[in-house]
Amino acid sequence: MAFSPLLLLAVAAAAAAAVSFASAGADDLVAEMQSLRSRSPSGVIHLTDTSVTRFLAAPVPRPYSVLVFFDAASLHSKTDLHLPQLRREFALLSASFLAHNPASADLFFADIEFSESPHSFTQFGVNSLPHVRLVRPEHSRLAGSEQMDQSHFSRLADSMAEFVESRTGLEVGPIVRPPLISRNQIILLVILFLVSIPFAIKRIMEGGTILHDPRLWMSGALFVYFFSVSGGMHGIIRHTPMFLTDRSDPNKLVFFYQGSGMQLGAEGFAVGFLYTLVGLMIAIVTHLLVRVESLQTQRFAMLAVMVVGWWAVRKVIYLDNWKTGYSIHTFWPSSWK
Amino acid sequence: MAEPESSTAAAGAGGSRLRNAFGGVLCAFTLLLIGVLAFSIRLFSVIKYESVIHEFDPYFNYRVTQFLSKNGIYEFWNWFDDRTWYPLGRVIGGTVYPGLTLTAGTIWWLVNSLNIPLSVETVCVFTAPIFSANASWATYLLTKEAKGTGAGLMAAAILAMVPSYISRSVAGSYDNEAVAIFALIFTFYLYVKTLNTGSLFYATLNALSYFYMVCSWGGYTFIINLIPMHVLLCIVTGRYSSRLYIAYAPLVILGTLLAALVPVVGFNAVMTSEHFASFLVFIILHVVALVYYIKGLLTPRLFKVAMTLVISVGLAVCFAVVAILVALVASSPTKGWSGRSLSLLDPTYASKYIPIIASVSEHQPPTWPSYFMDINVLAFLVPAGIISCFLPLSDASSFVVLYLVTAVYFSGVMVRLMLVLAPAACILSGIALSEAFNVLTRSIKCQLAKLFDDSPAASGDSSAESSSASTSSTNSAKNENRSEKSETAPKEKPSKKNRKKDKEVAESIPAKHKKEKKLLVLPMEASVMGILLLIVLGGFYVVHCVWAAAEAYSAPSIVLTSRSREGLHVFDDFREAYAWLSHNTDVDDKVASWWDYGYQTTAMANRTVIVDNNTWNNTHIATVGTAMSSPEKAAWEIFNSLDVKYVLVVFGGLVGYPSDDINKFLWMVRIGGGVFPHIKEPDYLRDGNYRVDAQATPTMLNCLMYKLCYYRFVETDGKGFDRVRGYEIGKKHFKLTHFEEVFTTHHWMVRIYKLKPQKNRVRGKLKKLKSGSKTSSTIAAGRKKNPWQ
Repeated sequence: MAFSPLLLLAVAAAAAAAVSFASAGADDLVAEMQSLRSRSPSGVIHLTDTSVTRFLAAPVPRPYSVLVFFDAASLHSKTDLHLPQLRREFALLSASFLAHNPASADLFFADIEFSESPHSFTQFGVNSLPHVRLVRPEHSRLAGSEQMDQSHFSRLADSMAEFVESRTGLEVGPIVRPPLISRNQIILLVILFLVSIPFAIKRIMEGGTILHDPRLWMSGALFVYFFSVSGGMHGIIRHTPMFLTDRSDPNKLVFFYQGSGMQLGAEGFAVGFLYTLVGLMIAIVTHLLVRVESLQTQRFAMLAVMVVGWWAVRKVIYLDNWKTGYSIHTFWPSSWK
Repeated sequence: MAEPESSTAAAGAGGSRLRNAFGGVLCAFTLLLIGVLAFSIRLFSVIKYESVIHEFDPYFNYRVTQFLSKNGIYEFWNWFDDRTWYPLGRVIGGTVYPGLTLTAGTIWWLVNSLNIPLSVETVCVFTAPIFSANASWATYLLTKEAKGTGAGLMAAAILAMVPSYISRSVAGSYDNEAVAIFALIFTFYLYVKTLNTGSLFYATLNALSYFYMVCSWGGYTFIINLIPMHVLLCIVTGRYSSRLYIAYAPLVILGTLLAALVPVVGFNAVMTSEHFASFLVFIILHVVALVYYIKGLLTPRLFKVAMTLVISVGLAVCFAVVAILVALVASSPTKGWSGRSLSLLDPTYASKYIPIIASVSEHQPPTWPSYFMDINVLAFLVPAGIISCFLPLSDASSFVVLYLVTAVYFSGVMVRLMLVLAPAACILSGIALSEAFNVLTRSIKCQLAKLFDDSPAASGDSSAESSSASTSSTNSAKNENRSEKSETAPKEKPSKKNRKKDKEVAESIPAKHKKEKKLLVLPMEASVMGILLLIVLGGFYVVHCVWAAAEAYSAPSIVLTSRSREGLHVFDDFREAYAWLSHNTDVDDKVASWWDYGYQTTAMANRTVIVDNNTWNNTHIATVGTAMSSPEKAAWEIFNSLDVKYVLVVFGGLVGYPSDDINKFLWMVRIGGGVFPHIKEPDYLRDGNYRVDAQATPTMLNCLMYKLCYYRFVETDGKGFDRVRGYEIGKKHFKLTHFEEVFTTHHWMVRIYKLKPQKNRVRGKLKKLKSGSKTSSTIAAGRKKNPWQ
């Protein structure tokens, strides 16, 4: 057993060398990642099949985590996936992280494009988009990395930041969104506005501008009414789509959603149109049709109005019944039944 | 009135005077009936249940009213309530909108001084129906100012039973909105009245009515933004007049001064951005007034020079004020706007930045069925009303349209504001229906006259007879009489003095009008059909409203009923529990529960609570949430530090009452975790799902809420089957170490536990020394950790 201390020493030396070699290699990788990052404006590194093997197949534990966004240019046209929007938000997240922790080497942001690097998609086991994965230092298999679930896309960059903060313990910092219009533009607009005020006042004092036309105000009022009763604000606040594709039959479109808590855009506008239509027809009869001379025209028009009105009201009652289960019914005291 | 030109002038004048008097009496009688209708349709809750106050917030208002009636107004104004938010307390006098309380207190005082011995509770229960009747009368007045008596009566009748308003004003729903909607409509009426008459008397009344609104509801900011908007609109569209000045300037000055008198508003009336629009418009109005004044003084050429001067000076002043306002706004952290107001301006604001506001169900954006539920067929009629208001456009009708447009937009952002939309929708539907009936009945009348070709006087009588056949056509026939007069009214703007003269003018004018109008008729059979269809539509509305009042909005939620094959079941567990508390606990004992039950506990049990529905202190609520989410020992320590003696939980698992504490529990975890980070929501979720069955996480099964809800639950059916969640619970047999059950109501809906007292340490030590290892080892191990046991 005399050789055993020697052997032990040798093994230890080899191990130390390996570790130092590995760490040297890792340092190189980090430096390379950082240089790649500095080349991108938002700090998102574009990965391909080769760079995935190079950076992410490196031996564990790697000195960094990588948050990977899976992108597919061919699917950008599909509006219900929101890929371009999510990609922009991802870039925003990356930029905010960089602004808060400049020169950080703990977390990198990367994206992979499907047509360029299909191999990586299979390696990660990604078969549906949108998809974001966090590869932490200890993940040896790429497919074993953690997937960001759908709920974290809901509030865009803010919720993605929460995911990153909870999983890595790193602080992303406040999400810095670029303002819609730049400072100079705002100043220019304000000056333009100020200059235009006297002219506007002069025009208004003279009268006869477009603002003095009641028809404009009337159509505006009717439009606001139409938009609100169709639940248009619901669509804006909840980002509901105009219609859905049927799950069982992708060629069929679903325009009406059953259940009272949610509505689709097209459905709302259809019913809003019916609401407004009936009112408009009543107004036409009471204000326009009475001025018509010919009795026959009046008779015919009133018949048409009544038929269409009847149909529209029935349609709304039917749709409401179908959607919420409520039908107009009478209330009788229990003793009368 | 039908054919005044045919009869002699004297007889015609006498006849029309009689007819006017008759119309006035009929109108008053109809209004009385409408008031009765508005009052009685809201009594379903009293008839079906009992005369009891509903829900949560009304209990607080009830308690405040009780205090007011017992101690008087000065005590009320300085009331510091130590029964709530223990140990912080709450300054009630300075943090409530006192309008509702003062109103009910006054009614109670009045009734009692007339020797009618009504209890405070009875007065509170019936305040909302009484004010609904007032609101429908105010609607009549407002609509009458805009479009005449017929439209007014129609609008009042519609408002008396609009479901959206019923939902907030059934008997027993003793909340601010019940009074505030009346105040809102009445303020608008006085504004329009001032605008039509230019009388300072009405302007002063308007400011007082605005004061009443400020006293009653936070929604007064709607008024103080809508009226300036209308003034600005009038100026921009070239409708400036001295009447506009009188309608607006006193309101801003007097109204703001009065509003600042309400403690809860105070300096907010001049410091927050919600009010700045009114000041800005006030300045603009003065500049415009000056311009018009100078225009009257000078020749056109001089005027041009002066105008440039005035406008440049005016603009300079305007900019200076705007700069000050902007500086003020920028200096406050939320830019001077409260979160709710901001989410109205930018609808996506709340969902992005204020999850608490976004999470409340009444702050959700409504879908189209909500409109059908809340204003029903009025949604079909409003567009016709809008168009009627534009033909011809007057100051009053433009105000009504503006009110509708803003209200309908706001209701689209928050379903809660449907309540503000409802009066506007009623007014415009009333206008639309009245105009339609007017045209259709006029057509029938004229055609009938042509058909029979009798003497013109007889046709007038026959139409009067036929119109009394059904109430709806009575209204519309009367509309005709009135509307002719009202069409002349907006142009003339009669003041009180020359009203008599105006009447004579109105009588002479119809002669001309009639000739034109005779042509404006529709074919008779189609008109009959049209009237029938409109009546069917109205019938739908009435049926729906009665159903909504009787079934949808009448449940008091303090007493629950369920119908089964055996008959009606009444669950009166809440009052049972509160009565137990008030009879079996010391008057100074503190009771902890989730904040939902705070108001009820203080009002019904008269015990001190830790948190209540006035959620002003998030940390305090989070402390209670943390205690409920902690294991027994930690919870005991938290509650003990707050001097809590009893813990109350609401449990629906036995009878299937879904809004119990287990279903609210995730909110306790979230709110608790928001302040105390050691409470983490994922610890209570299994794979993201909230469950309390065998799959539940150990943290969930060991937290105080689970234990207090399900303690001894397995003894009821032997399996521990939870009817709300629909499965058997995860942990069935366990003992409580730090709490003891003292009371459980009949249906197990409320369970009350007492904190076990802390054991005397010295005695415990002595006992241990004496008894040594006599106690069994397992319990001893537990006891070492728990000196209380």
